[in-house]
Amino acid sequence: MIENTVITLKSVDIFQQKHLVLSNVNLKIDKGEFVFLIGQTGSGKSSLLKIIYGDLYIGNGEGMVAGFDLKKLYERDVPFLRRKLGIVFQDFHLLTDRSVEKNLEFVMRATGWKDKKLISARMLDVLEKVGLRSKLKKMPHELSGGEQQRVVIARALVNDPEIILADEPTGNLDPDTSEEIVLLLKEISRSGTAVLMATHDYQIIRNLPSRIIKTISGHLADNVQL
Amino acid sequence: MEEFEESASAGKTKSIYISTVISIALVLMMTGLLGLLLVHAKNLSNYVKENIVLNIIVNESASEGDVLALQKKLDTNEKVLRTQYISKELAAINLQKDLGEDFVKFLGYNPLLSSIDVYLKAEYANNPSIDTFIKQMSENKLVKEVVYQPSLIDMVNKNIRIIGIIILGFAAILLIIAIALINNTIRLAIYSQRFLIKSMQMVGATRGFIRRPFLGYGLLHGLLGALISILLLLAILYFGQQQIPELVILRNYFEFAVIFLGVIALGIVIAGFSTFFAVSKYLRLRSNDLYR
Repeated sequence: MIENTVITLKSVDIFQQKHLVLSNVNLKIDKGEFVFLIGQTGSGKSSLLKIIYGDLYIGNGEGMVAGFDLKKLYERDVPFLRRKLGIVFQDFHLLTDRSVEKNLEFVMRATGWKDKKLISARMLDVLEKVGLRSKLKKMPHELSGGEQQRVVIARALVNDPEIILADEPTGNLDPDTSEEIVLLLKEISRSGTAVLMATHDYQIIRNLPSRIIKTISGHLADNVQL
Repeated sequence: MEEFEESASAGKTKSIYISTVISIALVLMMTGLLGLLLVHAKNLSNYVKENIVLNIIVNESASEGDVLALQKKLDTNEKVLRTQYISKELAAINLQKDLGEDFVKFLGYNPLLSSIDVYLKAEYANNPSIDTFIKQMSENKLVKEVVYQPSLIDMVNKNIRIIGIIILGFAAILLIIAIALINNTIRLAIYSQRFLIKSMQMVGATRGFIRRPFLGYGLLHGLLGALISILLLLAILYFGQQQIPELVILRNYFEFAVIFLGVIALGIVIAGFSTFFAVSKYLRLRSNDLYR
């Protein structure tokens, strides 16, 4: 049971600076689950994700993410927590000064990959999964928004993460491309990686019925219906 | 976001790096130039001091052999740079040239005495040191008197001290300016990469791993800037010596080498530390703080 849960938050209060953004947050996400996170802008969606990937520290309450105790999370542990996560952003956060290949290589080298052959094999593997094998040598600015987001997803997949956190991954994309990206994430969740995706796009949610959590007036509501 | 895409793109990064190197080079060149000025001023003052002459006038009774023996003794004195024996006859010829009149013929005899011109080493060319030297000399029975101009030596020493203090003060101020400017340039260059640094952190790279390549580039830029500044300094030296050939007298390759090595060390150390602290700053920031 416990091995199956990848995110546990118990009575967590989330602060942005000294503002209490969300109080008494309880959340459990299991392996392979696909969860939508909705809520108005500024209602604390991003803060919730930041707590999970260690960009904000937990105030009150308890939290476990991919085996890391958020209460005991020191600055030096954060990189190792993030290696268990794949983070996908609205604005991609690719390393814009280098090619797709070098972007993926950076992640691998940063997370301890050494063998050149293994690196290029894994690189082709994840690019294959997102359908971008041919774009290996391209610079990020030579790719469309949808393609860049696919590269980000490929990057997130490199270390077989337990969780993918996606913060409005379709925010900058057209409806068709958005749907492709979400389908890709859904497929990834089927292979055992939990996906928590923050979004404003209700069309997508309607097309892909899943568990929905919602930040509303300083609380987190679970199993919400649209 | 659009802005971020632009500013961190490869072309922009390259141009930021180039302007960083140029800024470092120019600032180091100014610092190096002052170093060269300092060395030249020091060598000039030594040159002037070592050309101050003491005439040791020898008694009439002294034989030429005695005088030459005295000269030999003087040559071994630690204060003495070089000596020149002026015989009675040579002194007469010199004076004749100055007067334009054959006074020996006129007087019927040569009234001049033999003397030894003594040039002291620069570090002993000051009045107290000269006084003890003269006292030592006067004890010698061969020596009639020692002639020199105390006021000239005082003036030279005073002026040199003032000029030296002024140049050193400028050098100190310029060094601080150099550090501040290079630090600022590098911080701006790193600032333009702050989102890149944040992205690297998001994928689980440790601080050390992110810092390393930045530090590598920082040190490289410091070195490149220093090398460019040395080329500029060499050019300035070359043209300076062409315009003022006398500068060659003050040339000292060892001292130039020390200055150039100092410029390299300064470039690498300042660039290294600045890069380290600037990158560390953005590594510490949370993603929210980046937009402030």
